[in-house]
Amino acid sequence: MEGRPPDDVMLAERAKRGDERAFEELVRMYQGIAFRTAYLLTGSAADAEDAAQTGFVKAWYALPRFRRGAPFRPWLLQIVANEAHNRRRSAGRREALRLRSIAADPPEDAAPSPEGAALGRERRTELLAAVERLGERDRDVLTCRYLLELSEEETAAVLDVRRGTVKSRTARAIARLRSEVTP
Amino acid sequence: MTELERALVELGHELEIPTSPDLLRPVLSAIESRPKRRLQRRRWTLVVALAALAALAATLAIPDARSALLRFLHIGGERIELVDALPGVTPDPAELDFELALGRATTLEQARRVAGFDLRELEVAPDKVYLGARGTVWFLYGAPDRVRLLVSQTPLHSVDEELLLKKLAGPETSVEHVDVRGTRGVFLSGEPHLLFLLDPRGEIVEDSARLAHDVLVWEEEGIALRLEGDFTKGEAVAVAESLR
Repeated sequence: MEGRPPDDVMLAERAKRGDERAFEELVRMYQGIAFRTAYLLTGSAADAEDAAQTGFVKAWYALPRFRRGAPFRPWLLQIVANEAHNRRRSAGRREALRLRSIAADPPEDAAPSPEGAALGRERRTELLAAVERLGERDRDVLTCRYLLELSEEETAAVLDVRRGTVKSRTARAIARLRSEVTP
Repeated sequence: MTELERALVELGHELEIPTSPDLLRPVLSAIESRPKRRLQRRRWTLVVALAALAALAATLAIPDARSALLRFLHIGGERIELVDALPGVTPDPAELDFELALGRATTLEQARRVAGFDLRELEVAPDKVYLGARGTVWFLYGAPDRVRLLVSQTPLHSVDEELLLKKLAGPETSVEHVDVRGTRGVFLSGEPHLLFLLDPRGEIVEDSARLAHDVLVWEEEGIALRLEGDFTKGEAVAVAESLR
């Protein structure tokens, strides 16, 4: 999870006053999480890039309406997620997510045996398939909370719901997922 | 975190996610190719200035004497007592005056549909609703010839407290900071009459205090809100905080 640097609020305040340098810093800081959020919501690199880019541009023009002192990241992710949702709706469906290929895995000192790695991969493949079988609402909340490791506040912003709804939706989604992976 | 939740977090690390492209250049390019937000005029800044009462009457065709305020106003559980300033002259067709001063008369439902933002409303529905310039929605309580309270909401405005203090504080107008639900606002008393707005392009737009009475201005999520009536600071804040 990307931490929220302490100067997030300060940079946003400067950007709100029209400081383009401050906004550049915010783009640098959050372009990664903005793209990943959009990608996991759309499943398409092209759509994610477009959504993230448009989201930043819209954020710049909406900054005068940005609440002073509020954290910038959840607000930005909400704008990006809106763009991503629009593209997902236009596409009619979201592309399925995939695991990285084994060859792309970085070597680790404590790498498991080939059998262990295969077993781990098999479990992850099953888990991903189970997540993909969930309804959109369950999948989105699990994507935000666990796959993207967003905070409850950020998840609430991305899904445009209250924090309490994030909690209850997450609990229900986890319960459904558990029933999927442990028949 | 349960084992399943930990497995989901690990799954997130194992997903095939393309490397994030460099967004900085295209974003900056898109911003630069559009009209700039000007630093000093970046926000719609609400500036309230003094002007002669005669100028107000001439400009607005709503003489102060006509802005009769009813004595009691019950809003959101608050009982606000207002000074009654009865009109000294027979008003012109007041409805027409208010259409000129505020905008096109409409219904609350229609205003909600076309406002483009979530309107803040009191528990009590306004007696009249107008759609004015710059996307402003006006709620009028009372009747056009016997106004109790005006509430205006204008998108893309903000309130510059320092500027208000600098421009307005003086012997004739009192400028006080207030807290409205944690947001700082400004209470103007002493008959401030003119307002100047800055539009998104930074152009100054002259506006007016419609009732020539006390004004409370504050900002919530990019909406500039304003109350006008004959009230104390505490009463104005109570009404403001009743807006939901």
